[in-house]
Amino acid sequence: MWQYEKKLEYPVNIKNPNPALAKVIISQLGGPDGELGAAMRYLNQRYSAPCREVQAILNDIGTEELAHMEIVSAILYQLTRNLSIKEIKESGFDTYFVDHTTGIYPIAASGVPFTASIFQSTGDAIADMNEDLAAEQKARVTYDNILRLADDPDVRDPIKFLRQREIVHYQRFGEGLRMIQDMLDSKNFYAFNPEFDKK
Amino acid sequence: MATEKQRLMRKVQAEQFAVVEANLYLDSHPTCRNGLEYFETHKAAYEAAVKEYEEKYGPITLAGADCSKRWEWTSTPFPWERGES
Repeated sequence: MWQYEKKLEYPVNIKNPNPALAKVIISQLGGPDGELGAAMRYLNQRYSAPCREVQAILNDIGTEELAHMEIVSAILYQLTRNLSIKEIKESGFDTYFVDHTTGIYPIAASGVPFTASIFQSTGDAIADMNEDLAAEQKARVTYDNILRLADDPDVRDPIKFLRQREIVHYQRFGEGLRMIQDMLDSKNFYAFNPEFDKK
Repeated sequence: MATEKQRLMRKVQAEQFAVVEANLYLDSHPTCRNGLEYFETHKAAYEAAVKEYEEKYGPITLAGADCSKRWEWTSTPFPWERGES
C-alpha cells in the first residue's frame, strides 16, 4: 500500500504563469514517455519479476514516478493560475481550456489522452527491463526538449531535477537487467523465461 | 526569499532525497557496507527533520498529525500550491 506525504519530492514555486509552456510540459504527465505511464509500467511489471532485487527496483522506482507525476502536475497547476480569457486565447491554451478549464488532465502535448497502450508488461524480465531502459532514455529526451523550450528558471529547475532522475533510474534498470542475465543460461538467455517456465 | 518554513522543508526534502537515492542503490547493491551506513545516517536525519517540521508547521504524514482536538490534516495547504514546497 501507499501513504501520502504532504510534500513534493522537489520544490516547485513558479512566479509567472505561462499557459503556452504548460501545453508542452503536460506531455510529461500524460504523454507517451510521461510520468504516469512510467509509474504504471513499473508498478504493473513488478509482480512477476523473477527476484526480490528486481521486484524492489520496479516497486521503488515506480513509487518515485508517482512523486514525479505530482511534481509535473504542480508545475502545470502553477503555470495556469489566474489566467485571463485574453491570455488563454493568445497562448493557444484555449484548445485545452475548452475541455478541462484549468483542471489537470493527463494528455500528450498533441492532445492525445493518456493511454495504457504506451507501455507493456510482457511477463518476460529481459523484455521488460529493456523496455524500462528505453523508457528512461525517452523521458530524458523529452525533458531535454522541454529545457530547449523553457526559459523561466522557476520551471527549468524542477525539470532539470526530473531529467537527472531518468539517468539514475536508467542506471538501476541496467543493474536489474544484469542481475536477471546472471540468473539465466549464459549460453542462451532466452532458453527459458524465469517469470513463466519452471526450470 | 525562502521563509523559515521553506528552509526547514528544504532540509526534509534534501534528507529524503538521500534516503530515496540510497534506497534505489541498495536495491541493486544490498550488501554494500558504505551504502547501508549512508542509508542509516540519512534516515535518522530525515526522521529528525520531519519531526521538527511537523511540530512547527503541521503534518507531513497522517501519523505526524495531532488530531486530538481537530482534524489537523486539512488545516494545512497541499504542497502543489506556490510557496508550499
